Amino acid sequence: MTRSVYVLGAGAHPWGKWPDKPQLQLAHEAMNLALADASLAWPDVQGLVAASSRFEGGMGWGLHANEVVQSVAEQGIPCINVGGACAAGAVAFQTAYALIASGQHDVVAVLGAERMPKGFIPRPPGSPDDISDSDYLRWVAMGATNPAYWAIEANRRKYDFGTSDETLARATVMMRKNASGNRLARFRAATSVEEVLASPMVADPLHLLEICPVSDGAAAIILGTEKYIRKTGRKPVEVAGCAIATGQFGDPASRIPTVSTNVLPNVSHTSEVVNAVNHACEMAGIGPEDVDVLEMADNTVWHLLSWPELFGFYEHGQGDWMLDNGKLEIGGQLSVNPSGGFLSFGEATTAQAVLQICELTWQLRGDAEGHQVPDATIGMSAVLGLGANGGSVILKT
Amino acid sequence: MMTQQHASTPIVEGLFEIVAGTPKLIGSQCHACNTIYFPQALSCRNPKCRDKSVEQTFLPHCGTLYSYTVQRYQPPPLFRMDHWSPYALGLVDLGKGLQVMGMLTGIKLDEIAIGMALKLVVEPLYSHADIGEKLTYKFAPAEGAGAA
Repeated sequence: MTRSVYVLGAGAHPWGKWPDKPQLQLAHEAMNLALADASLAWPDVQGLVAASSRFEGGMGWGLHANEVVQSVAEQGIPCINVGGACAAGAVAFQTAYALIASGQHDVVAVLGAERMPKGFIPRPPGSPDDISDSDYLRWVAMGATNPAYWAIEANRRKYDFGTSDETLARATVMMRKNASGNRLARFRAATSVEEVLASPMVADPLHLLEICPVSDGAAAIILGTEKYIRKTGRKPVEVAGCAIATGQFGDPASRIPTVSTNVLPNVSHTSEVVNAVNHACEMAGIGPEDVDVLEMADNTVWHLLSWPELFGFYEHGQGDWMLDNGKLEIGGQLSVNPSGGFLSFGEATTAQAVLQICELTWQLRGDAEGHQVPDATIGMSAVLGLGANGGSVILKT
Repeated sequence: MMTQQHASTPIVEGLFEIVAGTPKLIGSQCHACNTIYFPQALSCRNPKCRDKSVEQTFLPHCGTLYSYTVQRYQPPPLFRMDHWSPYALGLVDLGKGLQVMGMLTGIKLDEIAIGMALKLVVEPLYSHADIGEKLTYKFAPAEGAGAA
């Protein structure tokens, strides 16, 4: 038996730096907003799935769901804490979806809340200082920061397709323009190609304004059955497809934090995300051409140019033309990141994929005040996490 | 202590060796499907391979530059380098389906070009009175006397 699953409510705390609010408080605020949006309260929640963080909270063991429940409504419900690094929010969503689709529960909440440390994300503790840990090797043997990996991809794109520095910069300009109408985004000021290219070079060809910074933020979603969505009386947003996947051996992507890549012919680049997108499309019975709005992880401007190509939205190399001609803007042929994306939010790792799905929900309901995609009926999310974790969710009205 | 007591050593044990004056990256090769890995691997990772047993091997020491970047910001403290200044990182195609990432040396930052021929070299990264000199592998232009 598989039951249809609906988004009953979505809520998010604005992204930014919130030194005075612990991660747990951000989690509470996001949950309260999502519950209010669903016209529900804690006694209605039959299960909580949280994206586990390694940075703060969760009693140090990634037990974020348990911590939240114990601080607001200890009522015996299952608390599931999932890993998946920056894709953890998508893994959490998939888990909550399955709990409802399987018939086990009727109302389950998904939560991601994060406060990020400043600067380059450093190596976590717990691995041996030897050749068996590539995250050790990439630091000590060559000092490869995360932006360096993305920059290597961007330089190869310039070589393969002649992508210009101006086109790369234009991706940031578009994200800021979208964010200007989104009160949840952290960086909402408009920018220009000139300003982006004048920002400090971090790793050639990527400038500071072309790489997503880190932020604090929290997002929550309440999923439920048809009976519950009817009670809300609003336009139903249904989960049409959702999938998580991992990478494929032979994937040519330069994967953080490895120091080598085994490349095989006919294996997709960024295969963990492509696999998830393909599975989600299969489940929804749609193709990329049916998608009105795509919320994808734009860790850099390179991602905005390359990912839609990898997912089959258009040919490899066509992203430059699409961007330069405004086809990816709000209301264009494919609206990419109407929220403003990671470039305008900054990444609050485990919360990010949950926020993407909140954004799709608001877009499909027509509630995306200030950055609404006209007549959006199908939305897709795509996210990547360390460890070759990919996730994609397709919502429809 | 006397500096003579501190020989130059690799930044990480088992990463490379200098064999008869020539630096070699140490990797693994699968007995069954011949896939090569860097650094040494616990097991073959090819999902189609049923054998999985690997043995130590030296990797090709020449390749071509697949792509690169120049790091303009100093990496966090786990990375250590004497006389830090912006440097290039390259992804080098060694053939046999293997690309290896490493620092580039012996070339001006604005003269690096995708497709250029490179060879493996070993250079000091930093030195300290208590631990001696720490070496890492890098790639240098294959033509001319590029290697420092």
